[in-house]
Amino acid sequence: MFKKNVVRFILIGLTLVLAGYSLYWTIAYHSFSDQKIEAMRTEGSLEKFESRIIRLGLDLQGGMHIVMELDLPKLVETLASNKTPQFTVLLNEAAAEATANEEDFFDVFRRKVSNSNIKLVRHFNGRGFKNDDIMDNLESEAKDAVNRAMEVIRNRVDQFGVSEPSIQKAGKYRIIVELAGIKDIARARELIQNTALLEFILLKDPAVTQQFITAADNYLKTGQHSDLTAEALNAPKDSSVALKESKDKAMSVNELLGVNAGGTDLEAGVADSGLVVDEEIYKDRPFSSLLRNIDNQIGVPERNFYAVKKILSNPEIKQLIPFDSKFLWSAKTERRTMQDGRTENFYILYHVNNEPGLLGKYVTKASASLGGAGTQSSGQPIVNMEMNSEGARIFAKLTGANIGKQLAVVLDDKVWTAPFLKVKIPDGRAYIEGMGDMEEAKDIAIVLRAGALPAPVKTIEERTVGPSLGRDSINTGVRLGAIAFLLVIVFMGIYYKYSGLLADLALILNVVFVLAILSVLQATLTLPGIAGLILTVGMAVDANVLIFERIREEIEKGKTVRAAIDTGYGRAVITIFDANLTTLFSAIILMQFGTGPVKGFAVTLFWGIVSSFFTAIFVTRTFFNWATEKWVVKKLSI
Amino acid sequence: MRLIKKTNIEFVKHYKVFLTISGIYLAISLISIFFVRGLNYGLDFTGGTLLQVKFENPITTAEVRQALAANRLENSNIQKAGESNEFIIRTPLQTSTDSTVVVMTKALESIPNNSFVTNKAESVGPKIGKELRSSAYMSIFWAMVVILIYISFRFQFRFALGAVVALVHDVLFTLGVFSFFQLEISLSTIAAFLTIVGYSLNDTIVIFDRVRENMKTKHLGTVEKLFDISINETLSRTIITGGTTLIVVLVLAFAHGEVKIFSIAMIIGILVGTYSSLYIASPIVIMFQKKLDVRKK
Repeated sequence: MFKKNVVRFILIGLTLVLAGYSLYWTIAYHSFSDQKIEAMRTEGSLEKFESRIIRLGLDLQGGMHIVMELDLPKLVETLASNKTPQFTVLLNEAAAEATANEEDFFDVFRRKVSNSNIKLVRHFNGRGFKNDDIMDNLESEAKDAVNRAMEVIRNRVDQFGVSEPSIQKAGKYRIIVELAGIKDIARARELIQNTALLEFILLKDPAVTQQFITAADNYLKTGQHSDLTAEALNAPKDSSVALKESKDKAMSVNELLGVNAGGTDLEAGVADSGLVVDEEIYKDRPFSSLLRNIDNQIGVPERNFYAVKKILSNPEIKQLIPFDSKFLWSAKTERRTMQDGRTENFYILYHVNNEPGLLGKYVTKASASLGGAGTQSSGQPIVNMEMNSEGARIFAKLTGANIGKQLAVVLDDKVWTAPFLKVKIPDGRAYIEGMGDMEEAKDIAIVLRAGALPAPVKTIEERTVGPSLGRDSINTGVRLGAIAFLLVIVFMGIYYKYSGLLADLALILNVVFVLAILSVLQATLTLPGIAGLILTVGMAVDANVLIFERIREEIEKGKTVRAAIDTGYGRAVITIFDANLTTLFSAIILMQFGTGPVKGFAVTLFWGIVSSFFTAIFVTRTFFNWATEKWVVKKLSI
Repeated sequence: MRLIKKTNIEFVKHYKVFLTISGIYLAISLISIFFVRGLNYGLDFTGGTLLQVKFENPITTAEVRQALAANRLENSNIQKAGESNEFIIRTPLQTSTDSTVVVMTKALESIPNNSFVTNKAESVGPKIGKELRSSAYMSIFWAMVVILIYISFRFQFRFALGAVVALVHDVLFTLGVFSFFQLEISLSTIAAFLTIVGYSLNDTIVIFDRVRENMKTKHLGTVEKLFDISINETLSRTIITGGTTLIVVLVLAFAHGEVKIFSIAMIIGILVGTYSSLYIASPIVIMFQKKLDVRKK
């Protein structure tokens, strides 16, 4: 019998040593100074160390979690050529239906295609002849695009320099990016989300643009459309009355666009949210009065931005835009001083061809530097690009054939610069200007080097936590956890005396073991995880309460201490097993269905219960056995 | 020390009264959930954007609202957070394709002479919201199914039925409270609901286990008597465990944000879980047993 106890003590000792060893790394890591950690990072030994410590979740150390999804309808649209109305309608319907019914887009699209008489071969080149073959081809193209997008994002993140980035695929068309402990969240977001689709697009002839503007003015002005003007602007019918106050008066956005947010916003300073509209001109030319001439380009005062955007997206107005062209906005605003001395920020509106003259995929090198002396961008940050020979050839042809025209450099549908072509550029060198600072130029160079995302990707979920909030959460979590833990320990000690202290030992061991398991599994400790840990303390206490209550009962029945302990454990263990197993099931289901924080909770709960079987039953039993064998216990301290 | 001496309370005697009271309460909860107040789904399930920002200099809610309105975000909900100059801004789903986090950040940056740090940003698209909601319901559903199977296997089907009815009662009860007070339902709340399910079941099983044991060892005439004795024998444990777990979640309720709501759900759940083990789960098994007895005769 005594030997059996020795074996049990050895087993407990061994698990303790193992737990201690796996926790050593975490404890050591947190005792290091920042300098030491930096030193280890440069030395290269940090990574190995970090792989052994308990990871803190984004909610505890700050960081960002982004879920991106491939925009399948958009991908199909980009791949298609010769887009007939029938095709576009079909595509839009499929997209809407897939979203509404939470179905796979391709399944819906396939169904739509087979129900119609459309011949996909008219819209897709080199992807087969039968509709089914083309669909298969598109689907595999999409799957491929996800993998390439992951690769591109990984490249960008690596160049950005983040420790332990996690880039994973989820489902068929999703990518989850997690950057823990990252400080500059805004920069990282830009870097990841940029499609980085670089295009060189020729501007339309200004005369054509002028024709459109006149047509739009006339359309909005003519009597029968005055209702539509109001509709386009979402304004009350008698909006002209509201305008009759002063020239170039700033009118409240709410007034003109009819957005009535409870009226309280009016106190929010009319001037700041107003549109810049000249009343008389507005009546005569409702559209162009919102625009300004900025160096012979179409400038749109920042405050008119939404109004112009809204007009341009009106379906009737869209019909007036020449079919082979579109409007793009400048990436940045330009600051100008007006005649009356006020400064105003302007977006530039560019009217460009639909088809790009050259794609950015030919770019082989990209680097940030300051513009050379004597050039227009002297001393300003710019991004230099070099193209491969094929790109250089196309670029030479493009620039040579269009001297005197403007060529827009477009990144993700935003125009960075649109220089006039003066000479043919034979060597495939080009640059982008207009960056706010060197850092921005560097980031753009990174995305250009890493390559464009192979397909449109949209962010469907984002969660970021600033570092200070994370630190606060840790402090509160740990403090409250410690208080709760202490209260339970004290209560058990008082209520069950020495046996209670034994239960306390089991509780402490339980927490140690759970943390050790987390570090071995490289699981992540989140705030809900801490909550789960504390909850397991409650559950582990239950096991000992069950046992102790049962032992008390048996003693009352007149059994000897030894016999009471034996029966107590024997009976209670069955109950504990049944009761905890069901909680274990809940934890497993939570791990399966849960995401992020919930998963963290489930993981600690799961291991907490598992380890409590060992600590609350095995460990306490061992001590009871040992004590009753060593001394003749007449009265149990329980 | 001993809080609970040997007791002999007749728990089961008035079970019809308790079942009726619970039934009425649940009916009110259901009406509130489906017809009157509904449930206050958080960002996780509705989609939308939340930004928690802290400004350097003092600023009023009106000023923040103005900056947002100027960027067409006038339907934002602005809430002052614990500390001064700290705000939680919630914006419903936007139709624009631009990242709402970016648009909001730009809007706040336009506030002159004041800088801010973003402590938290959450943005959930409509699709994800829908998915999270269905996966939350699925997890609760599957938890119930698995429990039903396990208890049928370990005990008997009528015990499983009693346990699951008690669980449905607990979840509906807590949901009812969330509906009355319009507390926010987030992912953490769902985790709390599942923990409540686990906890309440713990309680129920401890009693059932004792019933099963007493069934074999003692011969106590009626089913009511069997349950009464078993509940009384385990009462001490029920109260001690409930008490210690309650201490833990009461302390946690002092936290902020998600953990706080989680703790509130748990406090409700522990109380109602203990109640349902005594007054819902047990009576249902008894009723079932009686029907069986009648049929046998």
